[in-house]
Amino acid sequence: MIYNPITALVSFFGICILLFFVFRPKKGIYFLLKKAYSQKDKIIMEDILKYLYHNQMSDNSITTNDLTNALNFSNSILIENLKKMMENELLVLDKDNYKLTPKGNEYALQIIRAHRLWEKYLSEKTGFDKEEWHERAEEKEHELSANEMNQLSNLLGNPKFDPHGDPIPTSKGKIARRKGIPLSSLKENTIGKIIHIEDEPDVIYKQILAENIHLYSTIRVIENNSNRIVFHSEGEQFILAPIVAGNITVLVFEKEQINEENIARLSSLNLSEKAKIVGLSKECRGENRRRLLDLGFVKGAVIAVDLLNPLGDPKAYLIKGTAIALRENQASKILITKINDEK
Amino acid sequence: MNKKNIENIIALSEEMRWQIGDDFHDNLAESIYADASKIVEDVVTKDYQKSKFRLDAKIDKIVTSRIWGFPIMLFILGMILWLTIIGANYPSSMLATLLLDNIHPVLKMVGANIGFPWWLNGFLFDGVYLSVAWVIAVMLPPMAIFFPLFTLLEDFGYLPRVAFNMDSLLKKSGAHGKQALTMSMGFGCNAAGVVATRIIDSPRERLIAIITNNFSLCNGRWPTQILLATIFIGAVVPESYSSFASLSAVIGIAVLGIFFMFFFSWALSQTVLKGEVSTFNLELPPYRPPLFWKTIYTSLIDRTLIVLWRAIVFAAPAGAVIWLISNVYIGNESIASWTVHSLDGFGFLLGLNGVILLAYIVAIPANEIVIPTILMLTVMVTGIQGGEGNGVMFELSSVTATAEILKAGGWSLLTAVNVMLFSLLHNPCSTTIYTIYKETNSVKWTLVASILPVIAGFIITFLVAQIWRILI
Amino acid sequence: MMKNKTKRACDTCTHFNADGLKKLGVKTNDFDFVVALAGNPNTGKSTVFNALTGLRQHTGNWPGKTVARAEGAFEYNKQKYKLVDLPGTYSLLSTSEDEEVARDFILFGKPSVTVITVDASRLERNLNLVLQILEITNVAVLCLNLMDEAERNNITIDTRTLAKDLGIPVVPTSARFQKGIPELIQTISELANGKIKCKPHKIKNIPQNIEKSVQELSRKIEDEYPNISNSRWIAFRLLEGDAQIIEALRTGKIADNE
Repeated sequence: MIYNPITALVSFFGICILLFFVFRPKKGIYFLLKKAYSQKDKIIMEDILKYLYHNQMSDNSITTNDLTNALNFSNSILIENLKKMMENELLVLDKDNYKLTPKGNEYALQIIRAHRLWEKYLSEKTGFDKEEWHERAEEKEHELSANEMNQLSNLLGNPKFDPHGDPIPTSKGKIARRKGIPLSSLKENTIGKIIHIEDEPDVIYKQILAENIHLYSTIRVIENNSNRIVFHSEGEQFILAPIVAGNITVLVFEKEQINEENIARLSSLNLSEKAKIVGLSKECRGENRRRLLDLGFVKGAVIAVDLLNPLGDPKAYLIKGTAIALRENQASKILITKINDEK
Repeated sequence: MNKKNIENIIALSEEMRWQIGDDFHDNLAESIYADASKIVEDVVTKDYQKSKFRLDAKIDKIVTSRIWGFPIMLFILGMILWLTIIGANYPSSMLATLLLDNIHPVLKMVGANIGFPWWLNGFLFDGVYLSVAWVIAVMLPPMAIFFPLFTLLEDFGYLPRVAFNMDSLLKKSGAHGKQALTMSMGFGCNAAGVVATRIIDSPRERLIAIITNNFSLCNGRWPTQILLATIFIGAVVPESYSSFASLSAVIGIAVLGIFFMFFFSWALSQTVLKGEVSTFNLELPPYRPPLFWKTIYTSLIDRTLIVLWRAIVFAAPAGAVIWLISNVYIGNESIASWTVHSLDGFGFLLGLNGVILLAYIVAIPANEIVIPTILMLTVMVTGIQGGEGNGVMFELSSVTATAEILKAGGWSLLTAVNVMLFSLLHNPCSTTIYTIYKETNSVKWTLVASILPVIAGFIITFLVAQIWRILI
Repeated sequence: MMKNKTKRACDTCTHFNADGLKKLGVKTNDFDFVVALAGNPNTGKSTVFNALTGLRQHTGNWPGKTVARAEGAFEYNKQKYKLVDLPGTYSLLSTSEDEEVARDFILFGKPSVTVITVDASRLERNLNLVLQILEITNVAVLCLNLMDEAERNNITIDTRTLAKDLGIPVVPTSARFQKGIPELIQTISELANGKIKCKPHKIKNIPQNIEKSVQELSRKIEDEYPNISNSRWIAFRLLEGDAQIIEALRTGKIADNE
């Protein structure tokens, strides 16, 4: 072949485009093939079990049609698997509706345990973004053996809840029941604590993440109508659409247990102000949380802004005699009450 | 002890952990600090009004101010680089005269007199000795200037403030503010820059800093850039602008390196390194006047000599290889010229040539010997007059003479531009690769750090070459 | 009581014998005692190390300079001491590499004496690490470094009360200017030879439910390993789920003496 710079360039870009189509994240041919290859019966069966379990919890009855619509499998494969599962006494057909047998229920709980433990692991021991936890756990839940789950659970200190506030079933299938009601149905002036943030569907979860709402933070509802829900939490104001608020679960306090109005995020502290640390938000996890505790960001410590940054972020805080710089997203997870220094 | 009882204790602790819940670590940390503040209350009396040293606060206000923060930083770094490059010139050429022009012939004569065969004489003195001498002459003076200056700033306590100022820029590409410092250190020497990443205590950001450090144009590469810019870039503009043009070209390459550093930091943090744990905290320690002589001494011992020693260890065999491939013949062609010819095609695609590629392969141990190797190989394959024989690296004191040899080797402006680019974007030297392995303890990350820049170099030089040929 | 003994260390120390001191640099073979040097980052720990050994390890004004362990030695009154400079850490509770190196050495390396260097003007912050180390080891001395800076900052420290509260000897130093180093060496030697006995502070203020669990666990550990001195600390680690400590407990490595 005779060399010509244009041909060389064209073939180069040709190769690039080819590589792009093969290895494009998620949609690339390589990944599609990998996924198609890994769609074994085990995964199909476990996905069916999980789907039935969740719907049984919310008292929906499920027909074959519902399953075909909800799960991404072809009809024939699905029916074949459902048949097999009934032979194995994991499900029964009650009229047109599928129901889990006790054995099926137990199996489903173990998959949920794997999923939630893995999410907890991702949140505590790795640097993956919140947005990715769910998807990664969806894959991993089919791979963990009972023994691995127990080891994982031990490593994580036998957690009771996953990072979204969902209870993690024990190895014996015990599961704590979640109390609380959706944020969208709270009356004005109700005070409560966010105990769960649903991570599905993805679109709504991403909106909640973008708002920077923290799990286990205390809230007070200011306004609730069909257009929007306004509430205060950690000294900030949040406005959500009702459909988004419906995915946040709140445990309502019987009486005013704590005076949450004084709590603010460290990120809102100004240069001349002083504050006392109330604690770290539960959203501050894993290695980050440990580091901050080690550095003295503990309950009761007095803190002030020491230095501003020419570019705004990070800021240096003076705590226990030392200037330590933190980024805005870290400071927003440290809760404080401001001290009025008028002596 | 009883195995069963031990297991029982462990099981009991697991049960308890479940009961106590997530808060154990928090509670423990809080209790320890509560004890600490109680003890401190008893024993420490402090004048709170003056609790922070006044002068510190004043310096901090200035070096992190909106107006002065960045100018001060750029000025200091620019000053250090300028002092290094200008200041190293004189001792470097003195060392070169001494080691290359005076001692080398003496050694060869002595070798011949005590009856060494020609090949042993050549292997030892033209190969091993020459490359070691080269590395010392080029590397030692700049490092002996750069490291002490940098260390003085470090001991004073200014560097954490630089990290503080730079953090939000670096955060955008997923890196840590302290990477600004390891990068600056990389301008001196990439191996030292990699060691310096120890100050980054977050695993993900540290790996990013290690892998991208090579994009800081190191001491060994500045002279190449300056030489080529003077010969080729300076020549295309009118005489009066030539030094300005070549200076801008060199700075442009360094800036391009910074751009690549940002780009690859971002790409790495979004892909392969996404799962590594990432934390951030930056302590701003009080300023302390550095102990001047002690700092000079320790930085010479700890940094300069250690890095130099490693470079020598790697350069010696490289010299041997260079001499051997130029003097071992297969048929009637030396290994070197055979390789040069087979690399020529690929080299042409990249706007380079076989000589350059071979020089970069054999000069993996030290970037300092790239130009001498290129000159030697060019003379060898073109058969023009010059040099001191096969396998004897040389450099010419006159820039014009160097230019003539390179032009005889078929160099055009495109070749020079692409060599400058490739000198920025190629694998780290073997000292750095070895250091990366020692610091990461991982073959995988060492490979990534070594291969990533070469691929970038191939792509960039390829694109530049094709577009150049289409347009011009 | 014990407290009087610790006090004695500061009141009536035997005089420092300058002729008995030899700085041995890196010659660390044949030693009588191993001394560990721990401390927060940026407390001048490496300076103390250099002052004791006569070495010149680089000491940057940077948190987290020494990552690998550095070793040196000195001889005092005909006894040889090997000094191990541990990485500077804020704590021993987390899992970073530095912390593991430091913790493992104090726990498994069984140093004869542990010198804890602290920054006198940031005592409260530094005590976090000190209190953790005192849970692990019984023989320690607090090197209250950077006294010059503390003075400049108008901070005064009642070292006698501090020694009493911590239950270990306290030696104020300014290692940069070689101040206090003879006293430190003298104290190390007395500790190593058992002339001073420590009664280290144990962490209080722990919430009741945790304290109860810790006590129960530590009692059971002591039943199995009667001559273990840091059972409480092991209990902390078990509750934290520290896989390495669980393993050491299984193999009995945790109780190996000398």
